[in-house]
Amino acid sequence: MSALRAETVTTRRGGMSILHAVSVALPRSGSVAIIGPNGAGKSTLLKQLAGLEIPEAGRILLGDRDLSGVPVRERVARIGYLPQHFAPHWDLTIDDLLRIRLEGAGRAIGDTITATLARFDLSALQRRRWSTLSGGEQARAILAAVLATDPPILLADEPGASLDVRHRLALVERLAQRGREHLSVVVMHDIDLAFRFFDRVILMDAGRIIIEGEARDLFDDRRLDAAFGVRFERLFIGDSRLLYARNQADQLPMP
Amino acid sequence: MKPWLWLSALLLLALVAAGCAGHDWVSPFTLVKAIAAGEDMRSRLLVDWRIPRVLAAACVGALLGLGGAVFQGVFRNPLAEPYLLGSAGGAALGATVALLVPLGVPQALLLPALAFAGAWGATVLVIGVSRVAGAIDTAGVLLAGVAIAAVLGALRSFLMLALSDETVSLQIVLSWVLGGLQTPSWSGLGLLAVLSALGLAATWLVARGLDQLGLGEAIAQGFGLDVRRFIPMAILVGAAVVAAAVAFGGLVAFVGLAAPHIARWAVGPLHRPLLAASALTGAIIVILADAIARAALPPAEIPLGLVTAVAGGPFFIVLLARRLRS
Repeated sequence: MSALRAETVTTRRGGMSILHAVSVALPRSGSVAIIGPNGAGKSTLLKQLAGLEIPEAGRILLGDRDLSGVPVRERVARIGYLPQHFAPHWDLTIDDLLRIRLEGAGRAIGDTITATLARFDLSALQRRRWSTLSGGEQARAILAAVLATDPPILLADEPGASLDVRHRLALVERLAQRGREHLSVVVMHDIDLAFRFFDRVILMDAGRIIIEGEARDLFDDRRLDAAFGVRFERLFIGDSRLLYARNQADQLPMP
Repeated sequence: MKPWLWLSALLLLALVAAGCAGHDWVSPFTLVKAIAAGEDMRSRLLVDWRIPRVLAAACVGALLGLGGAVFQGVFRNPLAEPYLLGSAGGAALGATVALLVPLGVPQALLLPALAFAGAWGATVLVIGVSRVAGAIDTAGVLLAGVAIAAVLGALRSFLMLALSDETVSLQIVLSWVLGGLQTPSWSGLGLLAVLSALGLAATWLVARGLDQLGLGEAIAQGFGLDVRRFIPMAILVGAAVVAAAVAFGGLVAFVGLAAPHIARWAVGPLHRPLLAASALTGAIIVILADAIARAALPPAEIPLGLVTAVAGGPFFIVLLARRLRS
């Protein structure tokens, strides 16, 4: 049985179809990247999988239960949701942030905070205010807060878009590694990182899932080019594979 | 622990200072004697008039502090203040009706009742209108608030023009709008104290949601807050608290804006400590401002709202500047 699944989920907004009968089953463990052009419906699907938005038609199942019937505290404890942007309005400490997270999930606070801080290498920063943290520390802190309940499911929406390359790499690697024991679903803008670190890739376009499968099988699929509206050159450098995007109008280089 | 000690000490000092200050200045010793066993005329005046007035100032200030903290928490905007969503316009309209329309009910009862109804009713109306208009986010609620405040203000102006046949009644309305405590009877003070305690309890209940909301709507939902239901609920709680303050103290300016800021500097942004500290800070400000209003130009009284604005504004700017430089 899958840990989380969407069954013919449909959503419209302002007369536009955002999701069109999307069905997907996500396993108990594994790292899954969702890719696709802007407006493909990736973030909306992720929010609905997290239970933050309710689909107009179709349903989301957590295990064998309809997600809309799961008590809020249980839902937020079992599904960690990492949004695209996070900027607290008040100058909180990391300790405050973890407290708010654990209270919302109805979890004990004292020991969990200490353990979570240690796990994310944040113990020395516990009492530091948000404005005094570096971008990398902030990213680690919000991830620590989301994962403080050790949720079996993590849904992350383009994390680290504003981070420098070192911290983005560390964050994406960390999210993908979590898929070894848990389910880790990440909306990715950087397609190369998606193919490099994730087991499975879901390609979305115009509110539908175009293809879904093992990352290595999808790499060569031409539907990738069609969805993004570019022509990808597949480059092989040592063991690594890279997608190099060219404008569709560009002529093929003559041999 | 340190900020709480400071705030408690300041509250105590403010209470004593305001008890001593007035048209007739007394020593703290006289004050204590009057409370303990004063039989003479002066003691009776202190116990029946000045002390209830000081305590009422404390309660009104605490309510404004609580309301301000809730409004800033909901709108996540440091400029948010308790009169943001039509409370002021509604209260002023209610008070104008009570003061100018002969309804055959004792004014001492009618004025606070209509001020409360106007203040809270205006916000209920704002929430209702923004829901019907489909504006469920805070920006939509704010715009509805601006529109309704304009309508209420126009209604009040019309009533003032149409119903006041002499300038005295206009002055009465104007002085109410500028804020001013009525000295309550001890039973009236009891009611105010109960309302203040209820206000603290009610705002305490929305404190956790305000903490979550302060993280932004997306993560707040991910941490378990039903944002669409919570925002109107928290606004109505905050508005009820403010309406209670308005019913007893008129439109006291500025306290609801400044108190939460000062409290946040003292105890940080988490809302449970913040609400308590904001209530304490609001109480301290209004106690002192009311003492100035009573004692500065005897035998006249300066409207309380003028004192809080004139004394509070520069003071707040100084605090802000020091804060920004450090």
